[in-house]
Amino acid sequence: MTGLVWLCRRETLRVSKLWTQTVLAPVVSSILFILVFGLSLGGRIRQVGDVDYEVFIVPGLVTMGMLQAAFANNASTIFQARFDRYVNDVLSAPMRPWQMSFGFTIGGIVRSLAIGLSLIVLSLILVDVPITHPFELALAVTLGLVLFASLGLVVGIYAETWDHTSFIQNIVILPLTFVGGVFYSVDVLPSPWQELSHFNPVFYLVNAVRYGFLGESDVSILLSLAVTAALAIPAYAWAQYLFTTGKRLKS
Amino acid sequence: MFRDDPPALELRGLTKRYDDGTLALENFDLKIPAGAFFGLLGPNGAGKTTLISAVCNLLRITDGEVLVFGEPHDTLKARSWVGLAEQDINLDRFLTVKETLAYHGGYFGMTDPDSRADELIEAFGLQAKRDVRAPKLSGGQRRRLLLARALMHNPRLVILDEPTAGVDFELRMDLWRYIRQLHAEGTTILLTTHYLEEAEELCEEIALIRDGHLIARNSAEGLREHFGVTKLTDVYVKAMAS
Repeated sequence: MTGLVWLCRRETLRVSKLWTQTVLAPVVSSILFILVFGLSLGGRIRQVGDVDYEVFIVPGLVTMGMLQAAFANNASTIFQARFDRYVNDVLSAPMRPWQMSFGFTIGGIVRSLAIGLSLIVLSLILVDVPITHPFELALAVTLGLVLFASLGLVVGIYAETWDHTSFIQNIVILPLTFVGGVFYSVDVLPSPWQELSHFNPVFYLVNAVRYGFLGESDVSILLSLAVTAALAIPAYAWAQYLFTTGKRLKS
Repeated sequence: MFRDDPPALELRGLTKRYDDGTLALENFDLKIPAGAFFGLLGPNGAGKTTLISAVCNLLRITDGEVLVFGEPHDTLKARSWVGLAEQDINLDRFLTVKETLAYHGGYFGMTDPDSRADELIEAFGLQAKRDVRAPKLSGGQRRRLLLARALMHNPRLVILDEPTAGVDFELRMDLWRYIRQLHAEGTTILLTTHYLEEAEELCEEIALIRDGHLIARNSAEGLREHFGVTKLTDVYVKAMAS
């Protein structure tokens, strides 16, 4: 287990050494969203359901900041390790494959939690967002982080250039997040957009987190958690499979 | 070392075919006794780095068996016994010299690697650079750090893949001194090199490989005798042309 502890330390150290880039920048951009969209548009869109607009968008912004960080961190850490070939130092070490995949997953999770906690504290100060179901919130965040941290690892392992990792981030994850109900309730969408939203996995994650904060959601919390878990488990298994077989990591 | 000690390295029918179809090693057998200083010579593409990568679990072998001190190479025990300094500089860009050594020790199961890291920093003359990150080191300093990292966890078998490629004369002499001292302490060394004089100077036994096959194996003297020539260079030329 010593090897795993040191790999987790290394991944955490990387996040902390680059904290302005890894934590501060996403927190500032999410807070700007709250200020710009929430406090300015909040004057025009007073409430969504029973919730003030500036409070309504906080869970989605927390989710967006965390899942993007989990993905980006892990895609870049494993790609960099492959690109510079220092991944060999880990692959040759007396560690089991699950320890390697878990260790490389940790950095994204630590970074996301740092972002999420910072955003929650700042949101409490700025808009007094409630946390009505902490257990469901913790479960949703855990599943979401496992899903996107694992996806980050998988993409970073398959990527052949930096462009591949940023392509997935900018062309797939970011748009899915924006249309996943971060800034609005899908109830306000006309058909077929409302129905199509239900095919977006981020929609379920945003709603699960929103339920944890506000006690309100566009879909049942159980369905949201089940869909997120149904994606998180195979994503983690995929990352684990790559470390177990050495596929794409070893020639 | 005792006669009953298992070999430091034993390859049985090792075969590696890459995904693009290239056959890098074919049914390769090799036994290196514990405590030996063993050299592996061959041209680019002969299969030297493939062989090393197979031993260190850095590639998926197609067929065959690799044993390190009698243990299958992919077991945790066997992995902890091997130290590798690769041909290319592959240092973690986020870590300082001290962290590079300490984290490597940690990956290899050392619970308190700090004192060993300090010892190696001193032995390799890197004291002034201990808190400097790898990308800011000179080429020679990176090469020293690479070797120090391979020795960090006190491996029983040290594999050096062209450790002196592209380094100046002074550093080469320094590295030779470190490696000799290591061998004198009982560590088994497997060295690949393009420099024939290096192999002759350091290695007790030399294997010549070409196109994934073992061509010849003996001491430098034995090879010269076998090929009926007076210089190792001529041995190499004859062996590779045959």
